[in-house]
Amino acid sequence: MNDIIIGIDLGTTNSEVAIVENGNVSVISDAGKKILPSFVGVDDNNEILVGETARNQQLIYPERTIKSIKRLMGQNSHVVMAGQHYSPQEISAIILKRLKAIAEAHVGQAISKAVITVPAYFSDAQRQATREAGEIAGLDVVRMINEPTAAALVYGAGQDDAKRMLVYDLGGGTFDVSVVNVQSGVVEVLSSHGDNHLGGDDFDQLIVDHIRDHLRQQPGIEIDEHSKAMARITRAAEQAKRLLSDEPYVQIEEEYLLDHQGAPIHLSLELARSTYEDMIADHINATMDATHIALKGARMTASDIDEIILVGGSTRTPCIRQRLFDEFGFEPHGEVDPDLCVAMGAAMQAAMINGQNIGTVLVDVTPYTYGTSAIGYLDGQPYPYQYVPIIHKNSVLPTRKSEAFMTHQDSQREVKVRIFQGEDPDALNNIEIGEFLIEDLLDVPAGNIITLTLDLDLNGILHVSAREKASGKEKAITINNAISRFETEALSTAKQRIGDLFGENDDAAAEESAAAIAARQLIKKAESWLDNVSAEDKEDMVDLIEAITDGLERGDDAGLREAVERLNDILYYLES
Amino acid sequence: MNLPYQILGVTEQATDTDIKNAYLQAVKDHPPDRDSQRFRQIQQAFEAIKDEDSRLRHALFDFPDITFDALLDSAFARDGSLQPMPADDFLKLLNTLSIEQTLATLNKTPS
Repeated sequence: MNDIIIGIDLGTTNSEVAIVENGNVSVISDAGKKILPSFVGVDDNNEILVGETARNQQLIYPERTIKSIKRLMGQNSHVVMAGQHYSPQEISAIILKRLKAIAEAHVGQAISKAVITVPAYFSDAQRQATREAGEIAGLDVVRMINEPTAAALVYGAGQDDAKRMLVYDLGGGTFDVSVVNVQSGVVEVLSSHGDNHLGGDDFDQLIVDHIRDHLRQQPGIEIDEHSKAMARITRAAEQAKRLLSDEPYVQIEEEYLLDHQGAPIHLSLELARSTYEDMIADHINATMDATHIALKGARMTASDIDEIILVGGSTRTPCIRQRLFDEFGFEPHGEVDPDLCVAMGAAMQAAMINGQNIGTVLVDVTPYTYGTSAIGYLDGQPYPYQYVPIIHKNSVLPTRKSEAFMTHQDSQREVKVRIFQGEDPDALNNIEIGEFLIEDLLDVPAGNIITLTLDLDLNGILHVSAREKASGKEKAITINNAISRFETEALSTAKQRIGDLFGENDDAAAEESAAAIAARQLIKKAESWLDNVSAEDKEDMVDLIEAITDGLERGDDAGLREAVERLNDILYYLES
Repeated sequence: MNLPYQILGVTEQATDTDIKNAYLQAVKDHPPDRDSQRFRQIQQAFEAIKDEDSRLRHALFDFPDITFDALLDSAFARDGSLQPMPADDFLKLLNTLSIEQTLATLNKTPS
């Protein structure tokens, strides 16, 4: 028996874990619930909370609770929870660890492998960050598959007739649309498009803005300054949104929202579904535009589609169903719970990778075009950053493409290769996802041929290599999370730290803050320099190391800061 | 000898539907998740002959024995300057292909 591989839907608002057992796919429930809200918090006793409990404390302790972390994945940012800094990967890892534990309790054995779903329109950096989150949680991410594709796998399994499906996936933070052909047991994605920052959270925000405007009618009330009141309003907005799926009107009531000049402020506001629909109209239009781009990518029109599949909680909004009905002329499907079917698809793919025959095979495409920049022309004018697409949008994965370039100066000894993602003929208008330098080229006249090969794997992660044809000299890289390069060391530190939160490592370092961990790393680095510096520098460094060690022993984070900064400065000077 | 047809196991007279079915069967037998090398071959073969346009392009412009590097060599002479293919070579190349024949095979699509 192979190791068990679980399927995980790591969502903006909700997460689920599913498994295939005896040929049946099921979402694993924890205390009777299949959905784990994607909330992480810290309680009064400094214990970590995940899911419902974290969600419940958000109203009272917004500063100790994190929601919708998926929206920050792939960005070089951090969140603050109970005064500690965390990367988005670390918060996601906490959710993954919880899901892993739920699955382990269900099967009664340790689990170390998972298939994790990501939005089809997730960029390279966002995919890398997801893989890192898995690693921090102690999970080997054997495959990342696209969410709409996973859903199509659930609907496509067991279908004998050829069908063309449109998967409309509107979640808490992301929107994806895919055109899928299901035929003879093959689920074949023909095209994908989307927006990786559009979802139910944005709808909530529009209602929050509406409430804020309402409150401002009473002069002097600035709700933004009150984090607890803001948390209550955000929750009230989300509830109102849900109710409006069934009711034509909702009454938003929050008593004693805040104190204003000694008087309590109550919130009471009626919101009509039609008003709400006007608010979100621009967002819905954007999803319809994306739907048409996906259809065009598959060289189809609305009339070629046989079925529509709805995925993601936000598709419960009635006007979305209405708009799809108007465009396609039939009712969309939603038999499989739109909140669960992505996790189920992930579990099916996991079973497939594990060698089980699930009767259905998946073929997916990339929603992005990848390329490089070269000296060329833009609008008929010579231009140094002409975009040269190499892997085109909607290419089947995995794919590998090569392109040849030439040096433009005699004796040019190095070439900087920049890799972009996007469609614009001007490379600089696309998203740069990485760059590298090929050095020590042969000393030859201009026209030295460099071949660039882009290799996009099944996870949607790009591997790049460049080769100087004449010498055979080659340089290869994987495009790492180019914005925030998460080094292996940082990754294991993060793993240790998140493990500590779950009380797995009971050594002395268990309670350490991020600052303390960074300080220890700094000391290690400084010590490796001690033998190679002047006596004067050495003396300074030893003093600073002592000061930092003292601070660490006393647990005095604030006292550390000055010494850490000074030591950092010295090292910086030494390294440059 | 025509590689894409061999990989998918279809004749050069196969219809779009035949080719699509052969492709789907090949994909079921060799899913991308199990053997991505093999899958890539199948995918390339399918893309080369999936419809009439691709089959014509394949018949006219595919040189199975020429690798990417060899193509580069023929396109760029040693001194690095751009040189067109000599006219004689080009005519020889054209003679190896029979457009009439290619079109004829395409037109007698079985019903």
